[in-house]
Amino acid sequence: MANTKLLIIDDDPDYVDGIKSILEKAKYQVDAAYNPKDGIEALKSGNYDLLLLDIMMGRGAEGVMVARKINKDPKLREMPVLIITGIREQMAFLFPGQPAHPRLLPTDELLEKPVDPDLLLEKVDSLLKEAAGKKEEGA
Amino acid sequence: MDTIPKILIIDDEEIVLDSCTHILAKSDYKVVTARNGEDGIALLEQTKPDLVFVDLKMPGISGMEVLGKIQAHDATIVPIVITGFATVSSAVEAMKKGAYDFLPKPFTPDEMRLIARRAIDKRKLVLETIALRREKEMLREQFAAIVSHEIKSPLGAVQQSLFALDSDLSDIISDEQKNKLKRLQSRISDLIKLVNTWLRAISVDISSIREGFSTLLISNVIMKAIENVEPHSVRKDIQIETTVKEPISAIIGNEVTLVEALVNIIGNAVKYTYMGGNISVCAEERDNKVLVEIKDNGVGIPPDDLPHIFEDFYIGKIKPEGERRSGVGLAITKRIIEAHDGSIAVESEPGKGSTFTIHIPVLKQIDKT
Repeated sequence: MANTKLLIIDDDPDYVDGIKSILEKAKYQVDAAYNPKDGIEALKSGNYDLLLLDIMMGRGAEGVMVARKINKDPKLREMPVLIITGIREQMAFLFPGQPAHPRLLPTDELLEKPVDPDLLLEKVDSLLKEAAGKKEEGA
Repeated sequence: MDTIPKILIIDDEEIVLDSCTHILAKSDYKVVTARNGEDGIALLEQTKPDLVFVDLKMPGISGMEVLGKIQAHDATIVPIVITGFATVSSAVEAMKKGAYDFLPKPFTPDEMRLIARRAIDKRKLVLETIALRREKEMLREQFAAIVSHEIKSPLGAVQQSLFALDSDLSDIISDEQKNKLKRLQSRISDLIKLVNTWLRAISVDISSIREGFSTLLISNVIMKAIENVEPHSVRKDIQIETTVKEPISAIIGNEVTLVEALVNIIGNAVKYTYMGGNISVCAEERDNKVLVEIKDNGVGIPPDDLPHIFEDFYIGKIKPEGERRSGVGLAITKRIIEAHDGSIAVESEPGKGSTFTIHIPVLKQIDKT
């Protein structure tokens, strides 16, 4: 797992630290970006296995913009994305007419803040396994 | 409302219009007149009157019809009817149609001024009420935004750091220290739950409840609600006895929210009933309505709390031992029941217990076939 690289994009440093230390204890290599712009750049330059993405950043739901950009990039869209948000109930307002768990990306999963450590590790692990399985199928 | 009240008078007799204008002009009103119903209605948009005097008997469209049009145009306009044939029945009919008062011909200038002044006061009150209600709505919405951003996210961040500390320190700290950390986490988690409950109360939207309507059996709703509160009632050794007097027709509703409504009431019953107490949940059909009665032999509700328990954020005087209260459960419940065209009532006697009664209309016979 030491060579499994994860990226967190979240503008709240407390969440980043909290989530990062849980993941690092589980021996993942974790980088962080504190705004959508740095996040996109990091995604393009680094080779990440999974992204943890906050939705409510900056002046609103800027995380959604990041998700859309990822979705448009043929290489990035293969990467699993775990969406982390404090606003499950308001999601319907962001995506009118859609269920509370919006499928922004083909691979996304949603966790509510604050993220329970066991649940976080379980979701990360299952998303990575799912992605690895897909890669093998493709090969 | 502008500073000078505007009055529209609709009457076919020129002499009435002239004398009324004369009477009211002295009292600093702006007076506009129309010779018939059609012209009067056309003037509503342009003049935006505060009150309208309408003669009941006119050629063309009748005074009664004009009343209806005024209501439809702006329900806050105060209509007063002028009636030449001062019969009680026509006045009563006009009042039923929404007239605020009536002025029987012939009338004295003082009579007319008095009625006009009262009607202007009435209009002021109506507009004030609307403004206050709107203000209250805005406060509610703003409060939701403040709660969600300013309280919920920092609380979440604290919790996230506690989770991280817990995992960072798990190999180093003693069991006692771990226990302290767990207690911190549990208190924060309670707070987050409380904030979520508040947010839920504010965001209960009747139209969105109605979107999820389907055919339901009340027995299923009751069963699910009881399953939900059972862990708590078992812990307090409270018996919940359910009686469903079949046959009960199906209802149309939103199952998730109806279960939530019942969980709030039965959960309260558990909270406010002593160890070893009893709760009964009865359902039956009566007069095309499904009736659900939830009765406990708990602490009861003091008479001065009783009228307020369905209000948002109202917390009664009696505090259940070791229980959490948000002050919104029953307010949410009431809104949910009302979204189902139902009603909820409560009777209670301090020291004896409380009984909540819910009525929900059954699905109409025609719909069944």
